[in-house]
Amino acid sequence: MIENPGAARRLPYLFVGGAAVYLVLLTAAPLLNGLWLSVTDAQLLNPTGGSFIGFQHYARLFGDPGFYHSLYVTLVYTAAVVAGSLLLGTVAAVLLNRSFPGRTAARTVLTMPWAVPTVAVSLIFVWIYNNDSGVLNRLVRALGFDAQGWLTDTSWALVAVTAASVWKVFPFVMLVVLAALQSVPDELYESSRVDGADALNTFRQIVFPYLLPMLRVAALLMTIWSLRRFDIVWLLTQGGPVEATNTVVISVYRESFINSDLGLSAAIGAVGLVLSTVVTVAHFALERRSKESEAW
Amino acid sequence: MVTRSRRFGVLRALVVLVLVAVVGFPLYWMVTTATRRNQEIFAGDAPLVPDPARLGELFSGLGPMLDWLANSAFVAFGTTLLSLLMAVLAAYALSRYRFRGRGVFGFALFATQMLPEALIVVPLYAIFLVLGLLNDLGGLVLANTAFAMPVAVWILKSAIDRIPVEIEESARVDGCPRYAVLPQVVLPLVMPSVAAAAVISFFDGWNEFLFANTFMVDKEKWPASKGLASYVGEFVTPLGTVMSAALVFTLPAIVFFLLVQRRIVSGLTSGSVKG
Repeated sequence: MIENPGAARRLPYLFVGGAAVYLVLLTAAPLLNGLWLSVTDAQLLNPTGGSFIGFQHYARLFGDPGFYHSLYVTLVYTAAVVAGSLLLGTVAAVLLNRSFPGRTAARTVLTMPWAVPTVAVSLIFVWIYNNDSGVLNRLVRALGFDAQGWLTDTSWALVAVTAASVWKVFPFVMLVVLAALQSVPDELYESSRVDGADALNTFRQIVFPYLLPMLRVAALLMTIWSLRRFDIVWLLTQGGPVEATNTVVISVYRESFINSDLGLSAAIGAVGLVLSTVVTVAHFALERRSKESEAW
Repeated sequence: MVTRSRRFGVLRALVVLVLVAVVGFPLYWMVTTATRRNQEIFAGDAPLVPDPARLGELFSGLGPMLDWLANSAFVAFGTTLLSLLMAVLAAYALSRYRFRGRGVFGFALFATQMLPEALIVVPLYAIFLVLGLLNDLGGLVLANTAFAMPVAVWILKSAIDRIPVEIEESARVDGCPRYAVLPQVVLPLVMPSVAAAAVISFFDGWNEFLFANTFMVDKEKWPASKGLASYVGEFVTPLGTVMSAALVFTLPAIVFFLLVQRRIVSGLTSGSVKG
């Protein structure tokens, strides 16, 4: 083949170029601009008119109990959504892995929430959680308990928002685990049965090692998606009642668009981004270590 | 032994039934509410089943929702076209070439998944203000593509990875020009994944709320996500109508996602395994 080596070397850059420039313009540049805003006193009405004020916003944040509260809410929400969706998703996948009559129908129903647009999810759950006529309180009353303010009571709001979020995202974990389960060779099951292992032992010793890498990936995606999730929380509670569901991302939005303090908002956002970065770096470090130990 | 495994099967069936009932309930409840009138819904002993007589007229009287859906469709199509155009080329290069900056580019794609939109919405707002893209559906296309395109790249890259390079080499030997290898040899082989990438990009644009809510001012230019969200906490529109609107907004997403879910899942996971 006659090739021009210079042109061949340029080719991949030509292919990647469009996407790379696009990402620089629409994500990297705004991100850097956001980080810059965090050290200025910019206000919403004049987003480019801020002047440099150093790290005042950060100093203020780290002396503010409200900020620590929103970090705490974010971590609790994220941990609960990750744990809930991994548990529910894995259980659902294990149940669906063997064939039984109606399996396709069950799988279809269990996959659906993932496809439902978040705004629609929020409308449904606002209605289900409704204090007076919501179906959840009807159930609670029918069982003989008192109706609860699922979204208006500080002790329930985070639970209610978490439940709605888990409902929406667990199918993703289910599909990931199901795909991993179907890659477990049948011989492994059989040999373990011949050895006389019961179902639980088979799962622990044969299946789980197969699932682990995929579970880790699912956990990573669930974590970083939960850390940045905005719409479902905003639409269900707007961060309330009394900050009970005020995650970092919600306070970023509130500071910008309600209090017009772009600088402070950007500083909160920067701290939030550090959180996700730490999680991601930890994941890849763990993955590298487990790969190295396999190589041994 | 046999009775034990049968008992196990019954137990499994019960658990599956409960799970399906609980997970399916919110959607069932959306349909039920959509067929009921306000007087029934708020009576306290509202019926727990849909009104079959009104199932047929579920999608009539949606008001402004039809315009909003058309706006969403515009944003979704734009996002799909733009992200596929860039993603096909980028995925091919990532799969077939080793070049400097490849790792950085791969990480940048992944990093978009952890970037909070709430942080970049203000700088984007400032940029769009200067460029005259605020209150413009085209601006939404640009913003959404930044988040949809990386996922499309992963899905397509993991598909192209599975096509043996030998197929391309033999096509070249048979006289296929270099520039034609991608569109005429590779693309036809990964069509199912292109479809999956198209679906996920489409519904990224269709579902997106934060940018739409922040950038779009005129009510007749709202996409359906913002329009629907405006019903939260608003008690003028009958709840049945709100739920019908939510249902029309949801149905296309469910249908298409079910068709391509497997490839979306494998694309998303492979993107974070190989980096």
